[in-house]
Amino acid sequence: MGGSARLLLLLPTRTYRTEDFVDAARTLGVDLVCASEKPSTLEALAPDGLLTLDFADPESAAAIVATWSVERPLAGVAGVDDVTAAAAATIAERLGLRASAPAAVATARDKFQMRQCLAAAGVPVPRFRRIALGENPVLAARGVEFPCVLKPLSLSASRGVIRANTTEQFVVAFERIAALLARDDVTVSGDAARYVLAEEYVPGLEVALEGLLIQGRLHPLALFDKPDPLEGPFFEETIYVTPSRLPEAVQRAIRDTTAAACAGLGLTEGPVHAELRVNDDGPWVLEVAARSIGGLCSRTLRFGTGMTLEEIILRHALGWSIATLERERPAAGVMMIPTPRAGVLKEVQGLDAAKATRHIEDVVISAHVGQELIPLPEGWQYLGFIFARASTPADVEDALRVAHSRLRFVVD
Amino acid sequence: MSEAATPDLKSRVQDLIDTMINPAVAGHGGFVELIDVQDNRVYLTMGGGCQGCGAADVTLKAGIERLIKEELPEVTEVLDTTDHSQGTNPYYTAGKS
Repeated sequence: MGGSARLLLLLPTRTYRTEDFVDAARTLGVDLVCASEKPSTLEALAPDGLLTLDFADPESAAAIVATWSVERPLAGVAGVDDVTAAAAATIAERLGLRASAPAAVATARDKFQMRQCLAAAGVPVPRFRRIALGENPVLAARGVEFPCVLKPLSLSASRGVIRANTTEQFVVAFERIAALLARDDVTVSGDAARYVLAEEYVPGLEVALEGLLIQGRLHPLALFDKPDPLEGPFFEETIYVTPSRLPEAVQRAIRDTTAAACAGLGLTEGPVHAELRVNDDGPWVLEVAARSIGGLCSRTLRFGTGMTLEEIILRHALGWSIATLERERPAAGVMMIPTPRAGVLKEVQGLDAAKATRHIEDVVISAHVGQELIPLPEGWQYLGFIFARASTPADVEDALRVAHSRLRFVVD
Repeated sequence: MSEAATPDLKSRVQDLIDTMINPAVAGHGGFVELIDVQDNRVYLTMGGGCQGCGAADVTLKAGIERLIKEELPEVTEVLDTTDHSQGTNPYYTAGKS
């Protein structure tokens, strides 16, 4: 199947995912329509291929697409991140296309609502409390147990996530998140602009499960270990390696818990990316997002004879058959290159040596020379990504660490 | 062996780039340069604000390619040969999503 099916991709102007989703659409031979939150300079010249939609207002986006599609029927719609997933779900519902219910996607986007929903469904989540930014943080700290983690309700990729072990640290973290939410480059509204979440710090290993929901059933696609400890005060993601080295029984518990979380949220269709902590009490759900893995990390994943994650997602959105959801046999991994410090990127050294590291498939530097670098918790960009593939997860992890050690970022 | 485009097709692609595409992408400080046309495939590079831009693929596939194919149906594909990693002033810089 292929050819003339028209697919609407919702692509924020600053997403990392554009190239991979556009490539997948080209591979599938679909008639690709791209919508962004800001107008393309070519929109007037190519109105059949380019749209501008306010992703933050899914209802208005759905109304525009409904009118637009009267003469250009759509066979599928897909978002690529948390914001566009919500818009895509609303558009899909309006047009009778395949997606989870908009309410379920919206619930997954709000960390407070998500935890309420999961707790009510009996899914293990950290104890949590929502705190208004207008509250006195010293008084608010009396209502939490330490150590705790403070985080915004709707930002992703650990942005604004801070551990506090004492009241003093709680107050500093609270004020830092409030300042972050007021930044020009943060676009949150409603509750997400008025509250922070404080939750119990759950010790243990952290994993990420990538899955695809089809008619309410979770199909696990990959389980990633995160071998670098994530203990705070900030929670910068670095290395992901799959397959997991955890015992099969633990992996099964992670899959079962994630499936229960999806069911509790009411998610039924499309990609999901779940983050869990695992300790002696079993898996704890930190997040279940109604989208696929972020950054360029999906490039670690290949299915069957080389199908990409994006192809699977688009095939699902179009209602097309998917030959297999089985990941290839070799181990694979990615390192999101952390930002060492604030400043302006002047030069990247050692790139050839890093690329020449055994088992390294590619090193992509996504930051550009001259770019202002902002580390966590305020920052939101990686310096780049290192990709490795080998016969064992240990070899993958070693290769990523060696390649990273060969890179040097000159920051002024 | 690939077949070079007739001078006519190449000049018509160049004309589209000059009169429609470049005036539009200039709004974001970008420009498009035609490298060649072979076997009805158009090879180009993207510069200025387009080089390294997070939305470059959207501009190329949903904008430039669609426009060229509509105006010149014999064109089968438009391919970007830009080294986007060398972009120093992209209009949109990719972030964490």
